[in-house]
Amino acid sequence: MGNEAEKPNIITSSLDFLVNWGRSNSLWPFPYGTACCAIEFMSTEVGRYDLSRIGSEYVRFTPRQSDVLLVAGTITYKQAPILKRIYEQMAEPRWVIAMGACASSGGFYDCYCTVPGIDHIIPVDVYIGGCPPRPEAFFDAMFDLQKKVKDESFMKQRAESVKEQLEMIKVKTAEAKCEAKTAIHEKVVDFKDFMKEKEQNLVKKAQFWKE
Amino acid sequence: MTVEEIFAVLEERYGATREKQDKWGVTAVVSASYLHNAVQFLKEESGIKFNMLVDIAGVDYLTYPNHEGPRFAVAYAFKSVTKPVNRIRLKVLVSEENLNVPTITDLYANANWYEREVYDQFGIVFKGHPDLRRLLNHVEFVGHPLRKDYPAQKRQWLSTNDYLLPQLEQRLEELGYKVVQRSKEVETNDNEFLEGSIKE
Repeated sequence: MGNEAEKPNIITSSLDFLVNWGRSNSLWPFPYGTACCAIEFMSTEVGRYDLSRIGSEYVRFTPRQSDVLLVAGTITYKQAPILKRIYEQMAEPRWVIAMGACASSGGFYDCYCTVPGIDHIIPVDVYIGGCPPRPEAFFDAMFDLQKKVKDESFMKQRAESVKEQLEMIKVKTAEAKCEAKTAIHEKVVDFKDFMKEKEQNLVKKAQFWKE
Repeated sequence: MTVEEIFAVLEERYGATREKQDKWGVTAVVSASYLHNAVQFLKEESGIKFNMLVDIAGVDYLTYPNHEGPRFAVAYAFKSVTKPVNRIRLKVLVSEENLNVPTITDLYANANWYEREVYDQFGIVFKGHPDLRRLLNHVEFVGHPLRKDYPAQKRQWLSTNDYLLPQLEQRLEELGYKVVQRSKEVETNDNEFLEGSIKE
């Protein structure tokens, strides 16, 4: 499968198109709101600006069901492990938006307790400037993210992951073989030693009886 | 009893001195050994009953211009609820060698968290406090960030999220519940947990 999927043909490219179309028009956000940016996200979400026009109306409050991690607000060092854990709990494919100055760069908090940008903890796809950014800026970021999603190739990623898995299996089998060999070798050596001891004992016994 | 009379009593009984630099003239400097008695006097015996503790603040005089004497200070602000005009402040000077100050949690319940915060940010130890842990900073945090010799931009990476389960279990046990079994995820290794704070 690996070689076939690397060269785009009519089946893989049309499948890519279909998958990306589906993904980019149903980006379900997980709002990790810690400050005023979250309030701005609420106004983006509802009535007047209406995020559901681009298919993102389902705000999921569990990382298992969401595609986009939306970090809106200041992240302190006390919170950093929690954010990282939530990112790790999200199923792939996953994207991250850093909303506002604090999440992108730490903002004006230049002190011992604030993380200077969440890209120190997790990879970020789109940054939004502003303190807090306007809903238009948020929509712009969502369109950018949609473009990014459409550029990705589902089949290529799949082929790469299969390749990685195959390599991992190869490495692991080689390791297991090596281990088995050494174990057998040890056993054989042990057995030889055991036989030698027995022979020596027998020889000693024979000598004893001769005497 | 006016505020002036209260100051006179404080000076007479507890060896307090009035702070001259204070703009409103309501601050008295008490030694740590007399603090608890002075606070008790203010709360219960004095004519104006100062039954509200407004704040406890730590001070670090390390880079303060023209300052002589001990490095730290703890300032207590009191207020009367019945006569809200009257306010009084007590100040305890704490030297760097002996960071102990008696607690006043038995008189004011809200002093509990204030004292925890001062301990967290300045490292001043309140003797007799029921639960002296860090309040704002993480358990793995090393140092006391509001001291003037702590570099303000020194950041510390942490390995875990905060570890509040023992306190929760303690509270539940006080209410009559009992912990029968913990899941493996919850059970943490203390050695592993405290190794976390990453150097530089």
